[in-house]
Amino acid sequence: MANYDLTPRIAPNLDRHLVFPLLEFLQERGLYPDELILKFKIELLNNTNMVDYAMDIHKSLYHTEDVPQDMVERRVEVVARLKALEEAAAPLITFLQNAKAVQELRADQHYNLQMLSERHQIGPEQIEALYQYAKFQFECGNYSGASDYLYQYRALCTDSERSLSALWGKLAAEILMQNWDLAQEELNQLKDIIDSKNFPTPLNQVQSRIWLMHWSLFIFFNHDNGRTQIIDLFNQDKYLNAIQTNAPHLLRYLATAFIVNKRRRPQFKDFIKVVQQEQHSFEDPITEFLACVYVKYDFDGAQKKMKECEEVILNDPFLGKRVVESNFSTVPLRDEFLENARLFIFETYCRIHQRIDMGVLAEKLNLNYEEAERWIVNLIRTSKLDAKIDSKTGTVIMEPTHPNVYEQLIDHTKALSGRTYKLVSQLMEHAQ
Amino acid sequence: MASKFWNQGGDSETEEEESDYEQEDNGIAAAEEDKAGGSRYLHSESDSDDSDGEKRVVRSAKDKRFEEMSATVDQMKNAMKINDWVSLQESFDKINKQLEKVMRVTESEKVPNLYIRALVMLEDFLNQAMANKEAKKKMSSSNAKALNSMKQKLKKNNKQYEDLINKSRENPVSEGDDDDEEEEEDDDEFEDDVVQHEKKEPVEDEPKDDEKEDWVQQLNKKDRLMEKQFKDPSQITWETVDKKFKEIVAARGRKGTGRIELVEQLTFLTRVAKTPAQKLEILFSVISVQFDVNPGLSGHMPINVWKKCVQNMLLVLDILTQHQNILVDDTVEPDENETQKGADFKGTIRIWGNLAAFLERIDVEFFKSLQCIDPHTREYIERLRDEPLFFVLAQNVQEYLEQIGDYKSAAKVALRRVELVYYKPQEVYDAMGKLAEQAENEDSGETESGEEPKMDTSRALPAFVVTPELVSRKPTFPQNSRTLMDILVSLIYKYGDERTKARAMLCDIYHHAILDEFSTSRDLVLMSHLQDSVQHMDISTQILFNRAMAQLGLCAFRAGLITEGHGCLSELYLGGRVKELLAQGVSQSRYHEKTPEQERLERRRQMPYHMHINLELLEAVHLICAMLLEVPNMAANSHDARRKVISKTLRRLLEVSERQTFTGPPENVRDHVMAATRALSKGDFQKAFDVIKSLDVWRLFRDRENVLEMLRVKIKEEALRTYLFTYSSSYDSLNLDQLATMFDLSDAQTHSIVSKMMITEELHASWDQPSRCMIFHDVEHTRLQALAFQLTEKLSVLAESNERATEARIGGGGLDTLPPRRRDGQDYAAAASAGGSKWQDNLSYSQGRLGSSGGRSGYNTGRAMGPGQTGYSRDRGGQSRGAGGYSTGYQSTRYQDTAYGGTGRSYQTGSIARGSHMDGSTRMVSLNRGVRA
Repeated sequence: MANYDLTPRIAPNLDRHLVFPLLEFLQERGLYPDELILKFKIELLNNTNMVDYAMDIHKSLYHTEDVPQDMVERRVEVVARLKALEEAAAPLITFLQNAKAVQELRADQHYNLQMLSERHQIGPEQIEALYQYAKFQFECGNYSGASDYLYQYRALCTDSERSLSALWGKLAAEILMQNWDLAQEELNQLKDIIDSKNFPTPLNQVQSRIWLMHWSLFIFFNHDNGRTQIIDLFNQDKYLNAIQTNAPHLLRYLATAFIVNKRRRPQFKDFIKVVQQEQHSFEDPITEFLACVYVKYDFDGAQKKMKECEEVILNDPFLGKRVVESNFSTVPLRDEFLENARLFIFETYCRIHQRIDMGVLAEKLNLNYEEAERWIVNLIRTSKLDAKIDSKTGTVIMEPTHPNVYEQLIDHTKALSGRTYKLVSQLMEHAQ
Repeated sequence: MASKFWNQGGDSETEEEESDYEQEDNGIAAAEEDKAGGSRYLHSESDSDDSDGEKRVVRSAKDKRFEEMSATVDQMKNAMKINDWVSLQESFDKINKQLEKVMRVTESEKVPNLYIRALVMLEDFLNQAMANKEAKKKMSSSNAKALNSMKQKLKKNNKQYEDLINKSRENPVSEGDDDDEEEEEDDDEFEDDVVQHEKKEPVEDEPKDDEKEDWVQQLNKKDRLMEKQFKDPSQITWETVDKKFKEIVAARGRKGTGRIELVEQLTFLTRVAKTPAQKLEILFSVISVQFDVNPGLSGHMPINVWKKCVQNMLLVLDILTQHQNILVDDTVEPDENETQKGADFKGTIRIWGNLAAFLERIDVEFFKSLQCIDPHTREYIERLRDEPLFFVLAQNVQEYLEQIGDYKSAAKVALRRVELVYYKPQEVYDAMGKLAEQAENEDSGETESGEEPKMDTSRALPAFVVTPELVSRKPTFPQNSRTLMDILVSLIYKYGDERTKARAMLCDIYHHAILDEFSTSRDLVLMSHLQDSVQHMDISTQILFNRAMAQLGLCAFRAGLITEGHGCLSELYLGGRVKELLAQGVSQSRYHEKTPEQERLERRRQMPYHMHINLELLEAVHLICAMLLEVPNMAANSHDARRKVISKTLRRLLEVSERQTFTGPPENVRDHVMAATRALSKGDFQKAFDVIKSLDVWRLFRDRENVLEMLRVKIKEEALRTYLFTYSSSYDSLNLDQLATMFDLSDAQTHSIVSKMMITEELHASWDQPSRCMIFHDVEHTRLQALAFQLTEKLSVLAESNERATEARIGGGGLDTLPPRRRDGQDYAAAASAGGSKWQDNLSYSQGRLGSSGGRSGYNTGRAMGPGQTGYSRDRGGQSRGAGGYSTGYQSTRYQDTAYGGTGRSYQTGSIARGSHMDGSTRMVSLNRGVRA
């Protein structure tokens, strides 16, 4: 199943620290040998300041108590640098920790800066130091500290570039702390900036969007409302273009979101076209499933894909999130997905059939006969389906859905009189 | 005697490296010989006449001219005797005119001695007259005036013939000799001339080294003079060379200066150049003079000159790589004595020149020669063999430019290389690589055999600046043409200017299409937005664009993407001017004659034969695509005359063929497709396929079997669809198995096709799963119902236009008043139609350009007739065009709509017309009612 694993394609678009959760998940799923993952973890940590963690992993990987010399040296270096940065940022931090002093700050940035430099002798250097310090904190894995400092830095910073990168840092920190609501806010802010900012080249903008989308995966699949929002974000023209140009693998998530989200019909049709068009650049059981149902009308194929989809979902770090209830863990998304996918197949299937054998239907839906019957009865009862069950022959008979010609005619013309009235009244108004 | 001299030259010098012109020289010599021989013969005849005592002379035109000239000389002599400057001046003008005639008749570059002698005589007399102040004073005013103007004219005129005059002065003997004969034997004058040379030649050459002899003999008089000047290597200084160089360059472009001669002189100078910089400077002049060899725009540079030119360029590169401190620049005028700095000079030396421009010119000449040469001759193939030669040069120039950091020019050069490769499929590319290797081997063999004369010349006069062959003479080809393209193209994208980039992009698209990478190719088209901007580009780029689109269409067809293929090709065929659009021949237009000027322009943009896209194949593919789309479409809408037409071309052809009383067996591509169309519209897939298969253009496809197999499947599918459309009304139910066997399709395929038709509501039927039957619903409207629907439709159009009219007047209202449900439904239609018109836009490149955009706009307005779609479609189009830059704004939705727009649209409008007015979404609601509520 490792061939559907998207981690290698997603990872380059994430921050180093954000890759950890993915690796953790992979380790848990056991798709790759443990050692391999541990090695990658160390590699990942090499460029961060989380030296202690790296040492731990090293120990567990090689089952030794020895730690390579360069790690020890690096640790010393990191500590020294931390000290230096702390000192540099100290005045500002003490100021910020003083609740009374903080109250003096106002919404006006100029005023704040002036006030700081006059009363507390805090100039641009200290503010810059705060940024560096926050960054360092983040590198060390102290995300909450980093998040706080970055928040305050942004209030004081005047350089828009810096402010932007502070925002990215803040988003990463919030994601890593799993503060989904806050992260969501940062995400929206970031999105607005990216959309409105002038980038040196369009390519940079696309790249930023792709990063944003990757990072947002963490939020959307953990936030309650995420599944609607992911469609809102990804399905925007600009973002969809970016996906198609540079990151077609994101289609998987969008497709999943569409399947579990029933209320998005209009966009859904367009999305099917996108899927079809991108077939050559990205293929995935989930998108193939959609192609089977909506392009090829190959229901047997769709059913096979559905099984594959299940695997894919379970192995995907974002989709396969587990919820543990007492001692019983489930993957809520999987169940939801399967239920909806079944409905998709059934829906399309019904549209082109007049009479369906229940046995065949049960098979198509991956249910047994009894379950299938109950399922259909439920659908009919909730009036989602105009059909009757013929229990003698064991078939479902669809009600013909052809609207009456006269009804259609009336439908057509009904609006006309209203429109004409409105037109006339407009004219009258105008004439007066 | 004459022949001896020339033969001598010809024999011993054939291998001589510098003797590229010698062949021509030989040709001229032969001509002269002929004439000389002829006159001698004539003369002997007249001799025999003489013995009869009668002087009856038969003269050729040439002789006549000479006679005229000598008559004028006589006049001049008479005038001199009486010191009449006025008539002398007249005679002088006359003799100059005659000179032209003589030159034309003899077809030689050589000025007759008679003329030179007259000049000498005049000059002497003039000097004499000027010296004699007293006599001058006595002259009448008009005479004195004539004298002065004569002085000026003569000075100017004589400059051209300076060398010859000097020589003539040096050889008064011959003059004296001739003096007497002249009067009697005018007609022999020319021959005499030649004879004199021969006579003189050995005399002159004798003192020199024997080795030198052959080399010297080859040069013509002027060179010999130069040779004399530079006889002693030790005496040659930079100054003398520079002076001579300037002199020769100054003569360039002047009347009476032989172009080829100029080249030779300069080539000689490169040998004696003192410093590398000087050599370089002279070489640049040689190259640009070589470009001048062929005047006028229509012809092409002689091939041997071209080759020589390439060699010179390589030499230039050798020097440049050897002396890294020499910079080539065409923006600054270098110092006078910049080239004096020797090889050991460390600072930078600037030389005027532009390598990229030279290279481009060479490429243009190569292209032109291929345009001019008849492609069915061996000459053409021979010429094509020179491709690697150019390729290696371009490669070296590009490397050098990259090395010195001039990436902009490097990109230009890279484009030239791209344009050499892009149309070659892998096989041809491999062949080119092989050819280059072969040529290399042959070359080395040749140089070995040709070593000797080379040695001779170097012994005769060692070039002062010896440059080793530093630059590789062998092109390196990456294994894969794609790799090469990628390297070059990415360089261009990085550094090239707009036009270069656009062209490179088009070549890239073309190449991808050749390699069957449709999706990459299509993405490139869409990403680059070339279809929007190509109308503003130059014509050759537009042609390239058309070519790329044609190739893309073929590629789509091979990949089985019929709609896309048709989309790419249909526009090319709309005006019936494919040949013109692809620059593969001139098509006659019935309605307006072309002016010769236009015709000439057109001829100049023709593609060389080896780059052509086979037109028959293209037509076959286009018509087959059109057939596959149009036949089911016609069947589906047989009742409605004003239904959407997918391919106008096919419809028109079909009409024509239906009008025929008898249809004979198919002969050309069109007949075949028409026969297939007739079969297909009856659902007879086998016959349709057989007819199509019998076309012999299929052999042009590489994987012919696969393509035909694909075609077979497609024809079957469309036959099935057509059959269902046509005969569904006769069935109440139809078994899947029966249908599958009827059309030789698998159950799954049949099921999928029919299901698709049901979903899109093209077919009013549904499956009865237990019995594997399709049940047809009787939803055909009665005549009355259909009319009622038409009426409602018209009413809504009316309301719509009313609203729009009011809106225009008073503003506001309009679409806001639409009930929401209706708007929803329209959105789809609008999207589809927007897609359609956008695609239309996409493809309107050729049309708009040719100024016949009438069709397009007409089409658009036609679409606008649909109920209330205009406003939406306009919005939509604007929206999706807004975003995106050159490389990123990948307008997927756009293509999206287009790809499906074709079919989707027709379904859409179809359902509207039937009045069901419910598209997919409204039907889907039936399942989702609960959810929505």
